[in-house]
Amino acid sequence: MTERVRIALSKGRVEDEALSLLARAGIEIERGNGNSRRLMLTDQAGQYDLLFVKSGDVPAYVRYGAADAGICGLDVLMEAAAPVHQPLDLRIGWCQIVVAGTKDAVGQSYNLLSTVRIATKYPRLTSAYFQERGVPIELVTLTGSVELAPVLGLSDRIVDLVQSGRTLKENGLFVLDVIAESTARLIVNRAAYQLHRSRVAELIHRLEEVL
Amino acid sequence: MPRSLARIPAGVRFVFGESARLHRAIERTLLEVFEGWSYEEIILPLIDFYDLFARGMGEARAAQSYRFTDREGNLLSLRPDLTSLVARTVATRFSSAPLPIRVCYSGSVFRAEESGTGEQREIHQIGLEHIGSNRLEADIEILLVAIESFWRLGLDAFTITISHADFFAGLCERLQVNGESETTMRQLMDGRNTPGLKRFLAGLAPDHDVENFCELVRLGGKQEILERARPLVSNEKSSTALSELASVFSLVTALGMDRYVDIDLGDVGGLEYYTGLTMKFYAPGAGSAVGAGGRYDRLMANFGCDRPAVGFSLNLDLLSEIVRMAAIRSARHARQEVAVLTADGDLLAVFEQAKRTRLENGRVEIRTAEVAAR
Repeated sequence: MTERVRIALSKGRVEDEALSLLARAGIEIERGNGNSRRLMLTDQAGQYDLLFVKSGDVPAYVRYGAADAGICGLDVLMEAAAPVHQPLDLRIGWCQIVVAGTKDAVGQSYNLLSTVRIATKYPRLTSAYFQERGVPIELVTLTGSVELAPVLGLSDRIVDLVQSGRTLKENGLFVLDVIAESTARLIVNRAAYQLHRSRVAELIHRLEEVL
Repeated sequence: MPRSLARIPAGVRFVFGESARLHRAIERTLLEVFEGWSYEEIILPLIDFYDLFARGMGEARAAQSYRFTDREGNLLSLRPDLTSLVARTVATRFSSAPLPIRVCYSGSVFRAEESGTGEQREIHQIGLEHIGSNRLEADIEILLVAIESFWRLGLDAFTITISHADFFAGLCERLQVNGESETTMRQLMDGRNTPGLKRFLAGLAPDHDVENFCELVRLGGKQEILERARPLVSNEKSSTALSELASVFSLVTALGMDRYVDIDLGDVGGLEYYTGLTMKFYAPGAGSAVGAGGRYDRLMANFGCDRPAVGFSLNLDLLSEIVRMAAIRSARHARQEVAVLTADGDLLAVFEQAKRTRLENGRVEIRTAEVAAR
């Protein structure tokens, strides 16, 4: 680890919330002024480097120690199954991971379908969920616009994130089951956790104070 | 060249040139350190019966080995573990040898990882086992060997975290947590998942205790960890574990080595065969632990020879990524004679002398006054 603690943040959905949480904890960066495209910024006190990466990539940066810590959703963490420490629930970026389908699917038992075809961005989590319930599935892994799949008959169901439920509704889809509730977590590299205990403890403490 | 010839299976590696020289230099240095503490090298077979590994590491982990049959139809494994092989060898071939038995090894283990995970399938492990003593001096000895190993490799800013298997085992007994929920609790604690652990423990103990306990296992530290832990555990098993950790830590402190050692009661991951002291090794530059070890007093009994044992192993592939050739401090022996020290009273004096002898690259052998063959 360099002198500064490196924190990987996911760009997009929880980025603004995460940055304002960090700011309240006294970790402030100046964005704008030609900074908006930079992928790594140092905070004003010079104690932390913030990296901005794709949300699904945060666990990888932290797992291998390229970043000491990271902030990402539990959904991403469950999908990555990365061996990292997760000491803090940051209580931001709330959403649900759900199974959804068209109106026909509501109330329909899985037993009536020999194999359920599921479209998702979360193949690992989805397989685990259905395997545990003894439901054979066929996975269609997509990277976006998952809600289209059942509408076009590409899949019977989808497993996706839901915040307000508006996107589902607009595409005529209904929540069939909630797999998990997700909020953003602080994650920490296992070696950094032990080798730089006081700096990690300070980060946890500062964030905990402002939750 | 046809593409089929260049194609390689996932998770294998080649080491050559400067990297190969470094790999060998690290291996040589560590084997010299082990020899300096009177550990004899043992070269083990690459394949053995699957059943042997299932007895040693448990079915679930042994099943992750590459398995195949010989002409007679026996199920064999490409070795997924070296400790099982050492334990079986010592149990069957050295069962009447004087105790303790000190052996060390260096070699590859193979794990049949899923495709696409990017995990290495061949890992070079180097380590040692101290067999036949359940006493404090055996635990201290292997901690000192580990500390010297990192120092010789020039990795001065390393950290060894220690814990005790019975701390967790006692808690589970007390809270009547077992089977699947024990696995869940282990994963939550090991992942320092404080919010998850709080939810898991809610209702099992008074709220205030749960809160303090979750704080306690979240981060490691020094002596104060044990003091904070004591009022939180009432069961005998966990309390004894804390006392044993306290003895280890105070001796390590008296030897001036406490800056390298942290007590980390949240460390409950890894092999379930540990029965006492456990340790993990961390060094700057590696994103995960570079090695692990501990006491496994019940393993040898699986091979028909009930002996306590303690050992550790290091991942040579990870070490070669972070060690610099120029930083290595040679451990070549200065002289042939062995300083035999008897640990039958003042352990501090014995280990002080052992440390001094090792600093001068002399060889030491620590004899235990009465070795318990439990």
